[in-house]
Amino acid sequence: MTTQTSSRAPGEAKRGFGGLPHWVATLAPVWTLLALFIFFGVASQSFLRPQNINNILVQVSTLAIFGTGMTFVLLTGEIDLGISSTAAISGMVAAQLFANNNAQEPVPLIAGLLVGTLLGLLAGITSTRFRIPTFMSTLAVSFIGAGLTTYVSKGRTITTLPEYARFLGSGRIFTDETGRGGFPFIVIVAAIVMLIAYLVLRYTRFGRYVYMTGASKSAARLAGVNTNMILIAVLTISGFTAGLAGVVGMGRLGSAQPDPVPSYLLDTISAVVLGGTALTGGRGGILQTVIGLLIYGTLRNGLDNIPEIDIYLKEFITGVVLIVALIVNVVFAGRSARDKTAV
Amino acid sequence: MSAVLELRKVSIRFENIQALDSVDFDLLEGETHAIVGENGAGKSTMMRILAGVYTGYEGEYFLDGQPVHLQSPRDALSLGIGMIHQELSVIPELSVAENLFLGRQPLTPYGMIDWRLMNRTAQEELSKLGFADIDVKRPLGTYALGTQQVVEVLRVILSGAKVLIMDEPTSALSPPEVERLIQLIDTLRKAKRSIIYISHFLEEVMRVADRVTVLRDGHKVATVNQTDTSVNELISLILGREINAELPAATTQKDAHVLLEVRDLTADVFRNVNLNVYQGEVVGLYGAIGSGHFDLARAVFGMYRFDSGAVVVDGQTYPRDFSARYAIQHGLAYASESRRMSLFMEEPIFRNVMVPHLERLGRWLSPTRSTELDLSTPQIKLTGVHPDDPVNPVGQLSGGNQQKVAIARWLPFPPKVFIMAEPTRGMDVGAKSEVLTILRNFRNEGYGVLVVSSEPETVLSVADRIMVMSRGQVVADMENVNLNKDVLMRLL
Repeated sequence: MTTQTSSRAPGEAKRGFGGLPHWVATLAPVWTLLALFIFFGVASQSFLRPQNINNILVQVSTLAIFGTGMTFVLLTGEIDLGISSTAAISGMVAAQLFANNNAQEPVPLIAGLLVGTLLGLLAGITSTRFRIPTFMSTLAVSFIGAGLTTYVSKGRTITTLPEYARFLGSGRIFTDETGRGGFPFIVIVAAIVMLIAYLVLRYTRFGRYVYMTGASKSAARLAGVNTNMILIAVLTISGFTAGLAGVVGMGRLGSAQPDPVPSYLLDTISAVVLGGTALTGGRGGILQTVIGLLIYGTLRNGLDNIPEIDIYLKEFITGVVLIVALIVNVVFAGRSARDKTAV
Repeated sequence: MSAVLELRKVSIRFENIQALDSVDFDLLEGETHAIVGENGAGKSTMMRILAGVYTGYEGEYFLDGQPVHLQSPRDALSLGIGMIHQELSVIPELSVAENLFLGRQPLTPYGMIDWRLMNRTAQEELSKLGFADIDVKRPLGTYALGTQQVVEVLRVILSGAKVLIMDEPTSALSPPEVERLIQLIDTLRKAKRSIIYISHFLEEVMRVADRVTVLRDGHKVATVNQTDTSVNELISLILGREINAELPAATTQKDAHVLLEVRDLTADVFRNVNLNVYQGEVVGLYGAIGSGHFDLARAVFGMYRFDSGAVVVDGQTYPRDFSARYAIQHGLAYASESRRMSLFMEEPIFRNVMVPHLERLGRWLSPTRSTELDLSTPQIKLTGVHPDDPVNPVGQLSGGNQQKVAIARWLPFPPKVFIMAEPTRGMDVGAKSEVLTILRNFRNEGYGVLVVSSEPETVLSVADRIMVMSRGQVVADMENVNLNKDVLMRLL
């Protein structure tokens, strides 16, 4: 076998790109985050204020919930393009039930989560049963979700939100006696979701199978892993987290919109990949996603905190920084440039 | 008759291997000239030189008496040399006629494809060759493989080839399809086309060829007329010696317990296969590539869907449509012929060893790293994986050591039967004998071992009993006593 063997002498320390020690290279996303933090800390008066750090956390929390499910999906080497729409219909169903059908909590919340989960399950079953790439099945689900949202809402925005959603999205705990200050609950929701996902991926057999399926589907099958079940499971998880993100995000924004927020999808994928989870599957994880989210949140928020930057250039700068960060992360932490079999 | 194509003193080296050494070859007009030899004798290399794939050779190449030096397969085609590969290059979704005229469809004066002209010409050309029954408007993919091959041959001819090179054209065909191809070659011969025919199947070679050139270790051994030779003579020319190698005595006990029983297994690529593996026995299942033996092995392990028949392991009949997971839990182990497909190259050795067993170590949780290391390290040492540090990624091991990992991974919870496809492919002599020794040890410890291979040396050196598969059927089942390559080759 010639292709995959590297000519490293036994005992020699692993080296990543450019001869950097391996641990420096694999932590590239962390260095990126630190660099951004230091840069914005110096360049902006307001960036490092506790209130602003708080803001960053709140801003990435919805993405974090989306990103948790997306991490599962990307780890298997698949993709879920349906999350924005799934979120929209989940939020809309919850809001409709509460505002116009007099459903009492927790019915709207549960209904919203159920809708998201079912849409994920639908994509999973379609893909495995009929061998349709997840790119297509989840794209179809995204149309279904968006269409249902428009239909259920009849094009109207709903502002009477179920109280659970409102609390999860914009509630605060540890407030002072006047009801101010405190810690935003949405951050805790995101943290709990990510903690559970972390434990599942790290310590359960299912988690192991998710990585194995992404690393090599054929090898996983030969080892007795039911890769189809794994695929259905990760898409269902992603549906569930998208549903939760939809309900929570709605609570944060204060209204249920009749259209999906398309940027959720690309923001989520960008953040997860920035952290170092490979689109090809098998590498990455929740910790990487946390870092990716923080990089993404820092970048977005930091640009807002430098008043000198032309507001019309922000999107452009974000793109440029993303490219650079991706190159740094992926190339430095990635495989040897010799390996032509790697994508 | 004059030679349409001639090679004089052609040699080529790859790194340290002299792939061809001063080989002469000529092809007459209207002749079918077969090239035979063992794997690695230089057949493919010679064919690739002829077809313009390898350009860095020494020696001379003449076409119609003119010296040429081809730079690419496109060059070859423009000079009238067409190649029919083992894997067909037809497009199943397009119609027969479209495939025939791919890239040179006739156009109407308005620049549109002239469908009527194209279909009519296609039908005429097929009729000339005796295939009037093929509907040129039907998608080619709806026809059997043999018909697709006929269409590919005709396409190469229509594109202007005077010389056809056919590489193992029958290995994937059923017997009636083979007849059809032989009939086609006869027609082409009458039309003065010259054909170079490469095949493992000597009976077939004797039927189609006018002359046969035998290669061995990169040398031309002989070119003989079909009328002056026989299958047996070809075999002794190919092997170059009378083999009387000493073989390990078979240890099968007559009343031994059956560990693996395959009953009447039938799928698209194999039919009515019956096969037993007894306790304490190594069975070698030998066949040329395309015989269906690799898919049979996959089917026994639940990785290839079969239509009828049954798999019985240690007296227990597997349910229909069982999964690999079921097979693993009920006494089977399998290592595929592609290590790249069956191992996680970037994962450490111990993880690779433990993946099939995670379910046995916990319903929900995965085992801890130390549990995995404790269970896998002894097996990694036992099989002699080198270097034996269990945390090394498998991808950094040599082929032989990867194979040892593929074996070691079944030992933490030993199966009853090991199924190993090409256990020694691509290994050096030392690694080969180590792996084969491991398999023999399993046999001595009372496991059943089924070795599936297309290399006669492998089955001859390790098996107690050898079964031969040809075109999806078992054609022989014999004790490995005084067997040698020529017997196996004659059975193909």
